[in-house]
Amino acid sequence: MRLEKCWFCSSTIYPGHGIQYVRNDAKIFRFCRSKCHKNFKMKRNPRKVKWTKAYRRLHGKDMTQDSTFEFERKRNRPERYDRNVTENTLKAIKKIDKVRVDREHRHHTKRLTFSSLYCCNICDLDQLLTCFEKMDRMKPKKAQLRREAEKELEQSISMVKAPAAQQQDPSLTLPIKVKVSKPETVENRMEE
Amino acid sequence: MVQYNFKKITVVPTGKEFIDIILSRTQRRTPTQVHKGYAISRLRQFYMRKVKFTQQNFHEKLSTIIDDFPRLNDIHPFYGDLLHVLYNKDHYKLALGQINTARNLIGKIAKDYVRLLKYGDSLYRCKSLKVAALGRMCTVIKRVTPSLAYLEQIRQHMARLPSIDPNTRTVLICGYPNVGKSSFMNKITRADVDVQPYAFTTKSLFVGHTDYKYLRYQVIDTPGILDRPFEDRNIIEMCSITALAHLRAAVLFFLDISGSCGYSIAQQAALFDSIKSLFMNKPLIIVCNKTDLQALEGLSEDDTKLVMEMKAEAMKTLVGQGGEATDGSNVLLTMSTLTEEGVIAVKNAACERLLDQRVEQKMKSKKLNDCLNRFHVAIPKPRDQKERPPCIPQAVLEAKAKQAEEDAEKEKRKLERDLENENGGAGVYSASLKKRYILAHDEWKEDIIPEILDGHNVADFLDPDILMRLEELEREEGALQGLEEDDDFEMDGAELTPEEQAALAEIRKKKSLLIQQHRIKKSTAESRPTVPRKFDKDKQFTSERMGRQLSSLGLDPSMAINRARSKSRGRKRERSSDRVDSMDVDGDQQNKKMRLKSRSMSRSRSKSRPPGEVVPGEGFKDSAQKKKAIKIAKSSSKNRNKEARRGEADRVIPTLKPKHLFSGKRSTGKTDRR
Repeated sequence: MRLEKCWFCSSTIYPGHGIQYVRNDAKIFRFCRSKCHKNFKMKRNPRKVKWTKAYRRLHGKDMTQDSTFEFERKRNRPERYDRNVTENTLKAIKKIDKVRVDREHRHHTKRLTFSSLYCCNICDLDQLLTCFEKMDRMKPKKAQLRREAEKELEQSISMVKAPAAQQQDPSLTLPIKVKVSKPETVENRMEE
Repeated sequence: MVQYNFKKITVVPTGKEFIDIILSRTQRRTPTQVHKGYAISRLRQFYMRKVKFTQQNFHEKLSTIIDDFPRLNDIHPFYGDLLHVLYNKDHYKLALGQINTARNLIGKIAKDYVRLLKYGDSLYRCKSLKVAALGRMCTVIKRVTPSLAYLEQIRQHMARLPSIDPNTRTVLICGYPNVGKSSFMNKITRADVDVQPYAFTTKSLFVGHTDYKYLRYQVIDTPGILDRPFEDRNIIEMCSITALAHLRAAVLFFLDISGSCGYSIAQQAALFDSIKSLFMNKPLIIVCNKTDLQALEGLSEDDTKLVMEMKAEAMKTLVGQGGEATDGSNVLLTMSTLTEEGVIAVKNAACERLLDQRVEQKMKSKKLNDCLNRFHVAIPKPRDQKERPPCIPQAVLEAKAKQAEEDAEKEKRKLERDLENENGGAGVYSASLKKRYILAHDEWKEDIIPEILDGHNVADFLDPDILMRLEELEREEGALQGLEEDDDFEMDGAELTPEEQAALAEIRKKKSLLIQQHRIKKSTAESRPTVPRKFDKDKQFTSERMGRQLSSLGLDPSMAINRARSKSRGRKRERSSDRVDSMDVDGDQQNKKMRLKSRSMSRSRSKSRPPGEVVPGEGFKDSAQKKKAIKIAKSSSKNRNKEARRGEADRVIPTLKPKHLFSGKRSTGKTDRR
């Protein structure tokens, strides 16, 4: 008995659920429920369907590379039973899971802070944190916020300060506005 | 041997029928249409073909008739004589001869006329030649009609002749009429011969079959023979005479002791004497029938004497054959077909005698050795006392021994099946599949292992050094967490200065503005015409604006503005914007106001155009075209709006079945169409 992964959404298929489709070239497609199956029949690409794991991984919403993923490897040859190994494995699975979940958490907070910072102009970190709380989002660490703010400022200062001005005044602040001198026109002279 | 093929002779048609058949076939099978206009050779060919075809058909059919009828000399003399007796040999031959002549004549006619046709010069001539040829052929056949009829009769009769095999074991029954021959026949075979009180009930030969010692015997019942000189005999009697004469059979001469047949024993004895020449070389048995009416012992002296004489004659034949001097029990028998007394004995005696005779003959013949070979096994005599056992190679002996061992072992080993049966049978006991596992420790055999844990397959994680790797992982994790905490502590260091914060706020504002604009542009691109930048519909690409933006970035814009202005001198629009600019220069205070005003003015200016005015960049030739386009657009939506539809794709029907359309009677007419 094995738990399989749904081809479309990559969720686990428990025994007794879902549909398996075997194509003429002997490739097996497993689906966890009819939603995935129907999407497949419509020839939708899971990489373009927002709620699938494939999309999320591809667009960086979820963690892709991690050492915790290397523990799980499908073996083609069965191993001879060893009680100690199995015991250790069972204990290890739990710990590995915990680590993996923690890392995913961290990844999500990192991601979400950056994107939501676009929406608001609040620079004060404390205010930002309260904002996050109100939004019911994962509250990032203050240090993280500060770091991100610094990075953003450094990278995007050229949006508000010309490089020439930056050279003259190398601080990351707004430049001094230069007054525009008006040339004299004929009408003006006439008016005067 | 053409014995049984009398049934396979082709039907001989009558003369008229024959002609009809052949002529209609000619008409069907040869081309039918011909015209005067054809080439003469073609006409000739056409008619020649017809003549030849007819001749061929006649020839074929007549030949089959002639071939099918048996030639009396070529068949078994028994049949030859029988046929002669039945249908006079000469007549028969004559008839067939006539058929033959007819065939030859037809051939000649055809040849002649074909030769004539070769020189036919017109359609009419060819046609009449053909008519003449066919006519003559038909006349020939007409002349032969009586022979054909006769042959047909013969054929029918021949087909019904009994199928007698002249070479196999045969028992012949003969005697005076009404003696009991047919009843005997009925008794021993399955033949159902007519038995009646009058004489000559049996008018022809009848064949039946009976078994004796696993052999089949033909039993032939003959019509009764009267005591007459040979020449006076009729056809029916001649049948039996023929049979007697030609078939090598055992003869059963029937004698009616009681005289109820209407003839005395003396007469019967006289008959016997007259035909005893036919009994040469045949096993003869005298059968006294109807003993229920009159026993053999009860006969008068004269009669007894006559019977004994006959017996003596019969004995002579017996002695002549086998040389076995037996008593007369095999020669003279009594029976009664009515009471079935002695019937079987007679049959057995006859069959036995016949068999002996045939065996003796076979023994004397040259084919004896062939027969003998079939039932003789040669056993060589041992020439000395030496033992010669069979030779078996050593390897085979070893293999046999090993096999024997294995078999013994198999019997001793206890099977799983036996174990199952001991513990209660199939439903009660389930075999332990883990019994024979090969593991490091035996107590592990009964372990229950989970295959799934928390949504993972345990088998995928199995690894002997998993603990090591887990330790590494945890160390890594610890390190990462440490870094984070450090970050937390580091936080108290440098915070952003208010200027920096202001800059950051500005940056963010700008970014959000860009995103907003992009979103607006994205959503309205389909419904608004995309005006290229050079036409500047919304008046955003002014030099004044450029100047403002550059100065906010911290650069001096004057040079850039001058350059831009120098390129676009003398334009109306520039002058108007200049005016705004001049106002701007006057004061700081006014600056802001003016800025706002100019912005609002520019915005309002972009909106307050007259409805038909063409904005360059929209794609219209002139205002008339634009007006027309607007009109068309409006008219397309006019009907829709009247139907209260939101747009082209709105196909909502508020009420699918409005009652006023689906109910109510009509004042005149029917309501079957709604």
